[in-house]
Amino acid sequence: MTYALVSLSIPLLSALVLMLAGARLSKRNAGIMAILTSLLSLVAAWFCLLDVAAANQSILLNLGGWENGLAIRLRLSPLSSLLLLFAAFMHVLIGIYAGFSRQSVSRDFWTLSCVLHGSLAALWLSADLFNLYITLELLGLTAVAMVALAGKKAYKPASNYLILSLVASLFYLLGVALVYGRYGSLDVVLLGLQTQSDTTTRIALLVMTAGLMLKAALWPLHLWLPAAHANAPTAVSALLSGLVVKGPIFILWLLWSEVAPVDLAQQIGPVLAVAGMIALVAGGLSAMRSPYLKTLVAYSTVAQLGYAMMALGLLMTWQLPQMHVALWLFVIAHGLAKATLFLAAGEMQTTLGTKRVSGLRGATQTVPVAMFAFAVAGGSLIGLPPSGGFLAKWVLLEPMLSSPQNWPWAFGVLLGTLVSAAYIFRVVAISFDRARINPPDVRPDRLGHWLALLPALMVWGMALIGEWLIEFLSGGGV
Amino acid sequence: MTGLQLYLILGAAVFLLGLHALLMTTDSIRRLIAVNLMGAGIFLIMVALAGRISPPDPVLHALVVTGLVVAISATAFALRLITAAARIDSGQSAIPDKASRLASKTLSDVAEDSRP
Repeated sequence: MTYALVSLSIPLLSALVLMLAGARLSKRNAGIMAILTSLLSLVAAWFCLLDVAAANQSILLNLGGWENGLAIRLRLSPLSSLLLLFAAFMHVLIGIYAGFSRQSVSRDFWTLSCVLHGSLAALWLSADLFNLYITLELLGLTAVAMVALAGKKAYKPASNYLILSLVASLFYLLGVALVYGRYGSLDVVLLGLQTQSDTTTRIALLVMTAGLMLKAALWPLHLWLPAAHANAPTAVSALLSGLVVKGPIFILWLLWSEVAPVDLAQQIGPVLAVAGMIALVAGGLSAMRSPYLKTLVAYSTVAQLGYAMMALGLLMTWQLPQMHVALWLFVIAHGLAKATLFLAAGEMQTTLGTKRVSGLRGATQTVPVAMFAFAVAGGSLIGLPPSGGFLAKWVLLEPMLSSPQNWPWAFGVLLGTLVSAAYIFRVVAISFDRARINPPDVRPDRLGHWLALLPALMVWGMALIGEWLIEFLSGGGV
Repeated sequence: MTGLQLYLILGAAVFLLGLHALLMTTDSIRRLIAVNLMGAGIFLIMVALAGRISPPDPVLHALVVTGLVVAISATAFALRLITAAARIDSGQSAIPDKASRLASKTLSDVAEDSRP
């Protein structure tokens, strides 16, 4: 647990220092400090993963030494240690990209990225509904501020995003108040033992679910996401799509897999799974038709979150532990792949001087590394073996294919795969049009391109540790 | 009807009023006020729930105080963002910082599609 606390507090402390130092620290030094912070946090998260793997169970900590029920509890489960590692890795990678590639960021980026890292780490570790509300609010405010970093044009989308994010957290807070009024407890573990499916619990859980779905941009509450994610600076888009939307999903999963009574979860599960299926198709079709590259990638986030929602819905319906594994494999595989897609898209945009998909003609020749990264990460989104996306999809498909009454769900996955393939291949096909090349404005930035490729290779490398990952996550999903 | 129920219904009514205003208006400041109204409704519910036992539940009071801090900071941030966005809409320069100048420069060449 000590390592987890270190991994959580380093970014927060560093954010404080960066904020107090302000202009006294040059932009470059601020960047180096933020990257070192994420690196230290990454090392701590690694040790914490080893700890949990050795203990093979969740570790609980009552803050301030108060007794159960009054204390704010932190919990380090195998999953949260993995997510700590994942968040820290993404911050290191995107930090290096933001600091050393040609895409310059303003000084405030570094402070905000440290706050974002800290609040994500706090979210993974919290096991208290109100504490989760605080982390959710922190995450939302930081994300909005980061979108606004893109400058004047982004203020409007940022303020819309902020209002929606506030409303979503208020819905969640209403649910928390109702739960506390009914059971007199906010602790996730204690609530799991107490909850019954009566009207108050039902209303509370539905209100919380609506709020969290809005925050995570799950269909049909996704409309704010493309504007916010496509208008942010490249490094921020990658952080938002890869990490920030995963926070509310974590809380949603915590609510339905632990807090909610089983019979209620079984009633709501199919609804969420169907919404996930629609998200896959609707998001995919929007991505297919989008004229702008970054909007295409943002809509693909909407579509891919459909898989996560489907895994969650089916987890609730069937109560199969395997679905935990599918859900979190999707989340991690999507985070890595989406980081690549946004970084590659940003690189191609600056090099080719166009925001449109049609401007990518001949990209295989002019920006080969970035285009290769885009295609490779796209392969994982489609679910081509042996990528991380394939691994997740395989775990999801296994129980569907084993019994004939589940085949309609498998059809949904198949449809989603086809639509993903359609929008990825649309970009790849245009990039092979070497007859009418769109000449690059500037020489490609080598570092940026190779950095974009790195997470794509990692997501394909996930297959190498696939067995260990599945075992680790199913050993104690909670 | 007990006092507790009355306050719970009042809180829910304030929350719904705020939600209604949020969905029906387009002006950013009005929408922000509507969000604050929704928050006030929830805080009313929480304070009322604290009175369900005697002596009143201090945990809920603590939660409301924390919630108020969050609401105030979020509102301040939102006001700053909305006014900055509104200034840009009306053509004045918002904050002439370097990042936005750079961003507007890269965004201005949107007409690159007409290129051969």
